[in-house]
Amino acid sequence: MPTATAAGLRCYELWDPMPDEVREGARRFATVQALNELVGVLPFAEWLDRAPSCTRRQMLMAKVQDEVGHGHVAARVAEDLGMPRERILVDYLEGRSKVHNIFHYSFASWEEFGPGLLLMNSAAIFQFRSLMKGVYLPYGRALRKIEREESFHYQHALDLTHEVLTHGDAEQRRRVQEGFETWLPRVLAYLGPPDTETLHANRMHQIGLKPDGNDELRQAWLSKIIPVFEKLGMHVDPALARQLPSGEWEFAMPDWAEVKKVIAGGGPASQRRLDWVRGALDRNTRYRRALRGVA
Amino acid sequence: MPHVPTDTDVYEVFAQTGSGSPLNHVGSLVAPRRDAAWHLAKETYGRRDDLFRLWVVRRTDLIVSSADDRGLLAAKTRMPHRQPGFPTTRRRDRSAAPDTAAPPQQQPDGAASGPCDDPRGATGPAPGRLWPALAEDLFVLGNRLGERIVDYIDLEESLAVGSIGQEALAHAETILTLHGFDASAADAHFFERPQEQWRVSRVIGRLGDWPSTVVCGLVIAAAVSVLAEERAGDEPAFAAIRDEQLVHLDHWRRWVRALAAWPETSEEFTRAFTEVTHCAGDLFGAGPQDALTDALHARLAALVGDSGVPGSRLPHLPVPRAAGTGGSVLADCLARGRLVRAHYAPQVFL
Ligand SMILES: [Fe+2]
Ligand SMILES: [Fe+2]
Repeated sequence: MPTATAAGLRCYELWDPMPDEVREGARRFATVQALNELVGVLPFAEWLDRAPSCTRRQMLMAKVQDEVGHGHVAARVAEDLGMPRERILVDYLEGRSKVHNIFHYSFASWEEFGPGLLLMNSAAIFQFRSLMKGVYLPYGRALRKIEREESFHYQHALDLTHEVLTHGDAEQRRRVQEGFETWLPRVLAYLGPPDTETLHANRMHQIGLKPDGNDELRQAWLSKIIPVFEKLGMHVDPALARQLPSGEWEFAMPDWAEVKKVIAGGGPASQRRLDWVRGALDRNTRYRRALRGVA
Repeated sequence: MPHVPTDTDVYEVFAQTGSGSPLNHVGSLVAPRRDAAWHLAKETYGRRDDLFRLWVVRRTDLIVSSADDRGLLAAKTRMPHRQPGFPTTRRRDRSAAPDTAAPPQQQPDGAASGPCDDPRGATGPAPGRLWPALAEDLFVLGNRLGERIVDYIDLEESLAVGSIGQEALAHAETILTLHGFDASAADAHFFERPQEQWRVSRVIGRLGDWPSTVVCGLVIAAAVSVLAEERAGDEPAFAAIRDEQLVHLDHWRRWVRALAAWPETSEEFTRAFTEVTHCAGDLFGAGPQDALTDALHARLAALVGDSGVPGSRLPHLPVPRAAGTGGSVLADCLARGRLVRAHYAPQVFL
């Protein structure tokens, strides 16, 4: 039988009777996450063969493997709710689903890689910690596993950034700074448009699949991550983000029209991501059939 | 090896006491009929607690680990780089070290110039030459498998090649460590030597499409496990390498059987199998050939033969390795490996 959350909403397991909108909502959340993990790992995977030492390469390979693992557990949740895993990538190729703005870019350099990773990872951790409080319990459990691994990636990103800042030359350190400034606005946008005014009317919030608002998460994330960069010795331009005496953060508001354009496929790496996925499916679909022994 | 238990009337019981707690294994019971098992479980294990969920599964439907699988299951010891504290510890150790950007320390003789005799002389001439050459193969294979993680043949397969790739890299490094290299000498060995000094097997040049990758994986896992067996008794690190490579071998064998049997892929696969096995004669071809290398090669041939598909063109005797092999596969691997590294002072990257 369904049980209750702290918010007083009922929680559900896979075979519990549940309202259609909870089932469909959970399927959509898990599908979106699976796609974003599977495509979102590509900008990192591109740097695997450039990782500059054996250990760094193993660490990065472990991260890339984890991300695909996140795609896998999210896809399993979605599959159990009626979304076949094959369709997740096919819907993306055929334009029926989109990936987050941050995955429409590539890293310009190894120096940019660290701060970019750190910003994205930490923001994702805030997202997942919120979503795991949702009413569909199998997705919550999947997110707990994912979040644990994300915190490994966070440590890895910190290490990578620290290494370049400590041992790199002035030019390399400058590129870390630039990387931070390039990625901060993108990740601010990744957390979604302002919604403090509208959250209560959001149906996904009402039914308990989206526990927190975008603004709330963005504020919490800034409070955590900006001091981390300051501690790394980086300069945080107050025009990009600054904390008011009230504790609230003011930040450069993303250009939402531009963000929308990027998500629709207008980002510098949008086509590259699509091409990779299409190529992988073209190359390998017959081997998958051979493995499963079904046509 | 994991096994399937045979007690057909035994059922294992899993129970959960609250929605936030995990489903736990609470015990087992004997049920003469399948349809009685769940009710008997409720009376056996659910008398005192309010249960949130109660799951019952017949023991014969389980695949369970055996005591000798524990080494393979010890993820923390096997793959320290996957542990959450690893980056922090590494950073702390490093800042405690005297001067991390000092010039490279003394490397074992020939470390920077190519495979050499085992400087410790512990393994005798033949294995001492064979190991560094196989380490090169493992390094390139590991990198290629890393790229395959996002090739999405299937999601479970992505995860499996990710582990095989990381283990291949770890084995490559362990082999060098056992031959007197420290971590930075091993990095220099893999990242800084020109291609002419590499002596990879000719199979490395065939690491292209998936069927060829499968066969390369198969022959390399077979060769490494055969050679590791030689030292497994007196060096635990070799025993661990052997055990993990035997798991890789099984993985590739399942693929070999699937690709060979499936009508849509069998022709393509047979071609790859013929070509790659034909190139695999040099896996034990580093250094002089003697009775030991012939014996190792015979065991390799037996393992490849056991893969269950005909058509192996593995030569009857080992073939010498040549310098400058590996083609564009090795060239790309080395060139891309230097792209970041080349812009930093020596010893920056650990
Ligand atoms: Fe992830
Ligand atoms: Fe991550």
